[in-house]
Amino acid sequence: MGTPDADAAAVIELRGVATVYEGEQLPAIRDIDLEIRKGELVALIGPNGVGKTTLLETTCGLLEPTSGEVRVFGLDIRKHGHRIRQRIGYIPQEIAFDELTPFSVRDVVLMGRFGRIGLLRRPGPADRRAVERALELVGIEDLARRPIGKLSGGQQQKAMLARALAKEPELLLLDEPFANLDFVAREEISSVIAHLHEELELTTLIVLHDLDSLPSSCQRVVLMRDGRIFRDGPPEEVLDPVTLAAAYHQLADGCRGRLGGLSG
Amino acid sequence: MFLGIFTSTLLGAVLAGGACGLIGAFVVRMNLSSMGFTMSHAAFAGAALGLLLGWNPLLLAILFSVVVAAALGPAAEKAKLEANVLIGITFPLTMALGLIFLKFSPGTAMSSTALSLLWGSILGVTQAELLQLAGLAAALMVLIGLFFKEFLAILLDLKLARESGLNPRPFFYLVLFLTGVTVSLSLKLIGGLLVFALMINPASTAYQFFYDMKKIILFAPLIGAGSAVLGLMVSFMIDLPVGSAIALVSTLGFAGAVAISPKRRRGRARIKESAPTSG
Repeated sequence: MGTPDADAAAVIELRGVATVYEGEQLPAIRDIDLEIRKGELVALIGPNGVGKTTLLETTCGLLEPTSGEVRVFGLDIRKHGHRIRQRIGYIPQEIAFDELTPFSVRDVVLMGRFGRIGLLRRPGPADRRAVERALELVGIEDLARRPIGKLSGGQQQKAMLARALAKEPELLLLDEPFANLDFVAREEISSVIAHLHEELELTTLIVLHDLDSLPSSCQRVVLMRDGRIFRDGPPEEVLDPVTLAAAYHQLADGCRGRLGGLSG
Repeated sequence: MFLGIFTSTLLGAVLAGGACGLIGAFVVRMNLSSMGFTMSHAAFAGAALGLLLGWNPLLLAILFSVVVAAALGPAAEKAKLEANVLIGITFPLTMALGLIFLKFSPGTAMSSTALSLLWGSILGVTQAELLQLAGLAAALMVLIGLFFKEFLAILLDLKLARESGLNPRPFFYLVLFLTGVTVSLSLKLIGGLLVFALMINPASTAYQFFYDMKKIILFAPLIGAGSAVLGLMVSFMIDLPVGSAIALVSTLGFAGAVAISPKRRRGRARIKESAPTSG
């Protein structure tokens, strides 16, 4: 596996970004400077509540940055949010459809493409083929006709991945894609993500809680602490017990034991 | 074109029931029931003000319901609307305003025009009102047909609709606006106190039978029209106010749907199949 070209265009550029939630006084994230180049697979980690999801949602414009600049594909997210999101595959954290949700898995996956189809146009054969490919890639083609609310949490998570992939995105933003998955499903999804990154050079930013789920092809880890980027570098540098202890406010010995074979 | 009273009444029931049922599918799915309730009573207050001022009650009904949508829409869009609080505050307010306006209207507060705003007066439906209802029904079908995928996306989830690259906000407010117009045009036929029932009950009934939003959008207006026609017949047969009869019929229809819903029956069958057998 090769490393991304240092001259590759920046897909994500965040400069001095801060985001404050409505009704809050303190920013959830601040002083964020982050650049991700085409073809990179970057893991975003940190303690609960540190701002990982906020950073992801600010990047794709689902949250408006309070200050700073966010550019994706070279475009300002504030001005071109809808166009940008048509090219991004995003899995939100903890999406859960209740049992009575009146949509099938196939419907939900197809709806991921609605933004790129265009106003007044209907989904065509190419859209339906993209949906079927995505369902097969994730391994849930047998569930396509089932109501989405009848699926288990893990199956719904897979459906959301299929929805993200059906968009044929140029950038994947995944917020804890392995949550609710058993170890077999986790391996399957991890291999799908690795395949997309290695074969298609799909730029990917993935939020992880469980460091055991770190994809093997991950070249870079961004560690957050207190709403800021604390460390940014190769896994062997960032996943150091002392560094992690500082970010998670833990003792280094405790982190050393939990890391096992992950750190260098 | 001259239509007999019976034909006009029947047509009014079909059109109002169909339009209310259709928009009700959106209101129920988008958790806007409290908004719809508030808008229907705001429309009543607006129409009552129109009577008081001698202005077109329909225009003021639409204006009042649209103002409510504009004022409360942003909170509803972000799912930050406390339904109980909303209803608790706005229902007495709009009812109080409506009754105050009726009290000071020309004639008496108990005049037939004033009462028709409260309870409905489908028998007095005019040709102009029928044309307005027909126009509304046509507009609903055209708009939903043209922007079907956009509406489906917001019916699934507003955040996911944004994530897919759509701009859901205009369609969200379009739903609110169409709700206000539908309620206002149906006001005189069903009455301000009960029009909400014709919007919510048919859609809720359809939800008992289908896991497919497209089928719910198709059947909710059919159930709405059927409830309105059946309610009309019941009111003729046993001499009940029309609006009340329609509300009763639609509510009984919903109760029956819950009782026989395959969504509940399937669960009971599964429990039966998995129960241990003796012997």
